[in-house]
Amino acid sequence: MINIDIGATAVAVLTLFGIYSLMAISLNLEYGVAGVPNFGKALFVSIGAYTAGITYTRLLPLLAGDIAIHPCGPTMGDALQLRSEIMASQPAAGFVNLGLTFIIAAVAAGAVGFAASYVTLRLKEEWFLALVLLVGGETVRILVRGADDFICSHNGISGVAQPFYFIQDPRTSALFFMLLALTLALLAYLYSQRLLHSPYGRMLKGLRENEDITRGLGKGVSLARAQIMAVGSVIAAIGGVLFALNTGFVNTNDFVVTLTLDVWVMVVLGGIGNNRGALLGALLIALMDRFTQIGAIALNMSGSEIEFNYVRFIAFGLILLWMLRYRPQGLLPESRLTTGAHAVVKREIGALQ
Amino acid sequence: MTPLLKLHNLRKDYGGLRAVDDVSLAVPEGAIIGLIGPNGSGKSTLINLICGSTDLTSGRVVYDGDDISGMRPDEIFQLGIARGYQEPSLYFKMTALDNALLPVKNQRGEKPWYAPLWRSWQNEEAQHAKAARDALEQVQLLQQYDRLASDLSGGQMKLLEIARALMGQPKLLLLDEPTAGVAPTLAYEIFQQIARLRDDHGITFLIVEHRLEILFDFADYVYVMHLGKLLAQGSVDEIASHARVREVYFGD
Repeated sequence: MINIDIGATAVAVLTLFGIYSLMAISLNLEYGVAGVPNFGKALFVSIGAYTAGITYTRLLPLLAGDIAIHPCGPTMGDALQLRSEIMASQPAAGFVNLGLTFIIAAVAAGAVGFAASYVTLRLKEEWFLALVLLVGGETVRILVRGADDFICSHNGISGVAQPFYFIQDPRTSALFFMLLALTLALLAYLYSQRLLHSPYGRMLKGLRENEDITRGLGKGVSLARAQIMAVGSVIAAIGGVLFALNTGFVNTNDFVVTLTLDVWVMVVLGGIGNNRGALLGALLIALMDRFTQIGAIALNMSGSEIEFNYVRFIAFGLILLWMLRYRPQGLLPESRLTTGAHAVVKREIGALQ
Repeated sequence: MTPLLKLHNLRKDYGGLRAVDDVSLAVPEGAIIGLIGPNGSGKSTLINLICGSTDLTSGRVVYDGDDISGMRPDEIFQLGIARGYQEPSLYFKMTALDNALLPVKNQRGEKPWYAPLWRSWQNEEAQHAKAARDALEQVQLLQQYDRLASDLSGGQMKLLEIARALMGQPKLLLLDEPTAGVAPTLAYEIFQQIARLRDDHGITFLIVEHRLEILFDFADYVYVMHLGKLLAQGSVDEIASHARVREVYFGD
C-alpha cells in the first residue's frame, strides 16, 4: 500500500492543469477556431523550455551579479550549484530572469509560428502545414540534441528552479508556483475568449469553414492564419517555460511527438472550438497523468510486470477513437459566436414590434 | 461612357483544354448583363477569372479603368467586385447575421490587437449590425437573422448570399446561377430583388443564368458562350431570335 499525500497531489495536478491549459488553449485557437492543424505543438512548447534552459544558465548569473559558468561539460556541476544558490538566495534575480524568459520565449515562438505559417502558405492544403510542423518539430529537437553547448545535448539542463524555490518550505513554494501557473492559464483563457467572440474570431471561423469564400469576401486569409499561429505559439511557449520549471529540467526527450498528441487529445476530448472545453480537456489529462503515475508505482510495488506507462498510451488512443466516433464535437460542444451584433438586431426588431 | 468592367481577350487553358478562348466583353455601369450558354461553355470559369480565384492564361481584366488581372481575390473584392456562387456557399455553421457581417470591409475588431479590446470595436460592430439588418430586410430575411445558414431553404440561401455580398458595398456583382435549385416563383422574386438593387443602389450585375425566360425579362444585354468562345451578343430580342444561338442552345 502506498500513502498518497492528498494536498501535495492536488497541488501537483492543478499545476499540471495550468500548464496543460496553456497548451490546449493555444491549439484550440489555432485548430479549434481557425482550422489550422498545428501538429508541431511540441516544437513551440520546446522553444519556451529551451529559452528557460538558456536564460537560467547564461542570464541568471549575470542578473545576480556573478559570472556565468559554462553549463555543460566539466563545469556542469559548478554551474548547477551556482544557479541553485542564486535561486535559493536571490529571489529578485529569479523573478527578473523569469520575466525575461517569458518575453524572449514569447517573441521567439511567435516569430517562428508566424514564419512557419507564411513559409507553408504556398502549400494549398493546410494538412501539409501539419506535416511540415510535425517533421520540423522533430528535426529541431534532434538538432538541439546534437548541439553540445546549447542545452548540453542529451544531458539536458537541470536545476531550472521555479521562482518560489527560495521559500524554505517546499509545500508552500509548490503552492505559489501552482498559483502562478493557474493565473497565467486564466489570463490566456480570458484573452482567448475575447479573441474568439470578436470580428476577428468570426473571420477565423469563416476561414476554418471555407477558405476560398473567405478570400473571395476580401479577407487576407494568409495573414490571418499567420497571426493566429503567432498568438498560439506565444501561449504555447509560455506553457513551455512553466513546463520546464515544473520539472526543474530541460531535456529534448520531453518534446517528442507524444506531447503534441497529448495536447490534441485535450482539445478533441474537451470540445474543438470551445475554450472551456480546452480547459476541461487539460484538467482530465492532468488527472489521468497523475493517476497513471500513481498507478504505475502501485503496480510496480505489487510486483506486476505490466508497464503502466503503456497503459496510458493505450487509454489515450481509446479515448481519441471513442470521442471521434461517438462525440466528435467533444464533451463541451462549440458555443455560438457573440460579438454583440445579435443583441443589437434583436433590440431593433423589438423596437419595431 | 466607359464600361465598368472590360475583358480583353481572356484565355484559360487547363492542360490541353481551352476552357475560355479569347473572350472580350464589356459591362456598362448600372446594367444587368446576362451571360448564357450550354453547360461546360466556360461561363463559370469566366466568373472565376474575373474574381481572381482562377489564374488567367492570357488576356486582361480592366475594372473601373484599372488593370486588375493577376490580383488576389481578396484585393479584387476590396475594389468592389463581389460574387455569388453556383453551389450555395454560405458559412453554414454561422447565423444569417454573422454571414452578413463577415464581409464588411476594414473592421477594426478584425485586427488581432484590437479584437480582445471589446470597447474599441463595439460601437462599430453595432453600426455594422444595423447595416446588416437593413441588408437582410432588403432580401426579406430579417426574421431569420438568428438562424443558422444551414437551416435556411434553398431560395433563402441564395438571397442571403446576395445580402452578404452587398455588405462589402460592391459596385459590381457577379452572380453564377442565382436561381439554381430555387422554386420558379421565388426565382422571379430573386430577379426582382436584383433589379431593385440596380435601381436603388446603382449596382451593376453580370449574371450567369439558365432560366432564360426569367433572365430575358430583366437583362439589358446578353452574351452567349459556346465551347469557351463568345458565340453571340446583343439585346434580349436579338439573342432570342439569333439562329446560331437557338441551334446550340435549344437544339432547334
